[in-house]
Amino acid sequence: MKFRYAFIAAGLTANLLIAQPADESAENWTEVNLAVTDSHVIPAYTSLMQATQELETIADAFCRSPDAEGLASFQDKFHSSMDPWQQIQHIQFGPITYFNWNFRIHYWPDEQGTGARQLDALIAAENQNILSSDNFAVESVAVQGYPALERLLFEADSLTSLQGNPYRCQVAQTITRNISEITRGVQTRWVDEFRTTVANADERGFFESAEDATIDFLKAQVEPVRRIQQQKLEEVLGESAGRERVQRAESWRSDRSLRNIRLNILALEGLFNGADDSGVQLSSVLLTEDVATINNDFTELNASLAALPDSFAETLEVDGGRENLEQVIAQLDTLFEALEAALKNTDLYLGFNSLDGD
Amino acid sequence: MNIDRRQFNTLAAGLLSWPTVVAASNKNTGKPLFLSAASDGDDRHWVIGFSTETGITKQVFKHQLPARAHHIAVHEALGVYLVIARRPGRYLWAGDLATGKHLNTINVPDDRHLYGHGVFTNNGKNFYTTENAWKLINGDSGRVVTWQADRRGDTFTLERLEEYPSYGTGPHELLLKPDQQTLVVANGGIRTHPDRGREKLNITSMQPSLVYMDAGTGDLQDQYVLKADYHKASIRHLDQNASGLIAIAMQYQGEAFDRAPLLALHQQGKEGKGMRTLWAPEPVQGQMSQYVGSVRFDNSGRYIAASCPRGNMISFWDTNNDSLVGTVRSRDGCGVSAVDNGFLYTAGTGRIVWYDLATDQVVDMGSSLEDKVFWDNHLSILSV
Repeated sequence: MKFRYAFIAAGLTANLLIAQPADESAENWTEVNLAVTDSHVIPAYTSLMQATQELETIADAFCRSPDAEGLASFQDKFHSSMDPWQQIQHIQFGPITYFNWNFRIHYWPDEQGTGARQLDALIAAENQNILSSDNFAVESVAVQGYPALERLLFEADSLTSLQGNPYRCQVAQTITRNISEITRGVQTRWVDEFRTTVANADERGFFESAEDATIDFLKAQVEPVRRIQQQKLEEVLGESAGRERVQRAESWRSDRSLRNIRLNILALEGLFNGADDSGVQLSSVLLTEDVATINNDFTELNASLAALPDSFAETLEVDGGRENLEQVIAQLDTLFEALEAALKNTDLYLGFNSLDGD
Repeated sequence: MNIDRRQFNTLAAGLLSWPTVVAASNKNTGKPLFLSAASDGDDRHWVIGFSTETGITKQVFKHQLPARAHHIAVHEALGVYLVIARRPGRYLWAGDLATGKHLNTINVPDDRHLYGHGVFTNNGKNFYTTENAWKLINGDSGRVVTWQADRRGDTFTLERLEEYPSYGTGPHELLLKPDQQTLVVANGGIRTHPDRGREKLNITSMQPSLVYMDAGTGDLQDQYVLKADYHKASIRHLDQNASGLIAIAMQYQGEAFDRAPLLALHQQGKEGKGMRTLWAPEPVQGQMSQYVGSVRFDNSGRYIAASCPRGNMISFWDTNNDSLVGTVRSRDGCGVSAVDNGFLYTAGTGRIVWYDLATDQVVDMGSSLEDKVFWDNHLSILSV
């Protein structure tokens, strides 16, 4: 495929002009892939790694002397490390998929309530051996990451429970250490290994071609839009007024379900448009007019989300709350359709057999 | 395949530019002829025949189908290929192998649907399909149906003869053992209903099985299941080598992070203990993404290729030691056929790729022929 689209319209560098031979086309794919890697993916994982290191530090401080002020600080760090996670959650290829790291950071949705049962059992067992890094890594994914930590930190009686049971606090510490180790692993592997894999994607190796790597970035762009719409909103709202089930929302205990979505969308917009001024970004592979439509959809969606509180429950409590969320759903649908239509105007396809199920 | 294949590759690099053996066996005979179902961006569905010439694929025929198809059964002596509708479709679309032209369309009864697979007997007199008696809400609704095939000139007919239980739910691919007396059936275990589209209705209680049954009477000979922990590993696709070793491909319906078998081997009569599961070392087992789409033995009968379209790779295995030999990245790659030196595989992206098993060479054979299409799950071959 030739980069005949936004590159050209933007009047960019000469080597990006019409009708390149195949090898130059591969260079263009690689240029996009590396721009996304360097300006979006690695900075986001670095932020996450740093924030989760701080989370681990504050967990240790809190458990040395658990009090109300310390819990508030712990909760703040929970939020400030969940924020960067929500801003890179859309990348579901590469190192995040190693060793079940993605599920271990954030096992959700948990439709069977597995996390609650397993966390209770783990705490009741009071087994110190489980808390070593190696052993905890092979515990159920449902007790290893953010949802389990949220349960420990945001229950009504979290402070007294953590004060009254040092092992419970140790479990919280262990989860923060586990998340921190995983995010360090993901960041390090992107920097040390996977960036090179992306850079050399036009040679035989992990990727089939540089274009193949671009498709993984495009899947990270498109598929989360539908997933956010369906899993994070429609499943919670139910089919009609009165059918809402807030406890199905992501991060409902910490009252940040809609903050998650707001950050998800800002991150997806960042993925689309890039974070530097090089002019090369993921949207470069699409037609200029499609890029404009999609950016307009992002703008409207961001405006709607910015007007909502962080909490799903709080949003539903006000008049018109459900309607506001239904509007967000409609805007997500519009964005998804626009992305699909834009891809259809290229030779890029995200999946066929892989979506089949036969 | 040499253990030190990588070193050999270095020596061999650049020597091969296309699959010479495939090309050599293609001289003016139209063979091997590859057949696959495909779809396009306008949601039209096709059967396409193509050949390979000096590394370039060439379209031989292309016909539009009434709906999406799945596997294509081929019988050379009858000169017939038979396109089988993807579930919950009901059509069998017959074409002429020499010209590609449409001969007949046969539908299964209103209260049945196909599962996309079927197999001819070697003598071409009979054809078998897997079907769903979907009105049976309880109990095993899987069926194996015997058809009588008849080709006279431009007339091809299939007469529905007998209907047997598949001894399970959701039967998918089926084979006739080399002796032609025994059918091998992959019961996927998943209950579906045409009114509910492709929704899976029984994941928590599903029970896949591998069944051997008498092809003449439908009597059950043997039935094997995996251990209870793996009851969500839906047994879908099969192949066999000349000695009757069955390769079994699965699609796991449990959690993405579970570790469940996706491949197994079995030989009737030799291994009463059940299926031998095959496992790839991590991270490959995880990268298979709980889903094998198609499985085929190579022409030697020793190696198998198992496609993982969700994991974007084709995996290769040695059945002598039940181990993974290697993998090749293939975005949405699924259809696989054995060719002289290895495998040809097709992808949902439209790519057609030849893989040389001995030298680990990958050769891009072009993409989608004359128009952009997405190749469907299975690739059939009419060999020399």
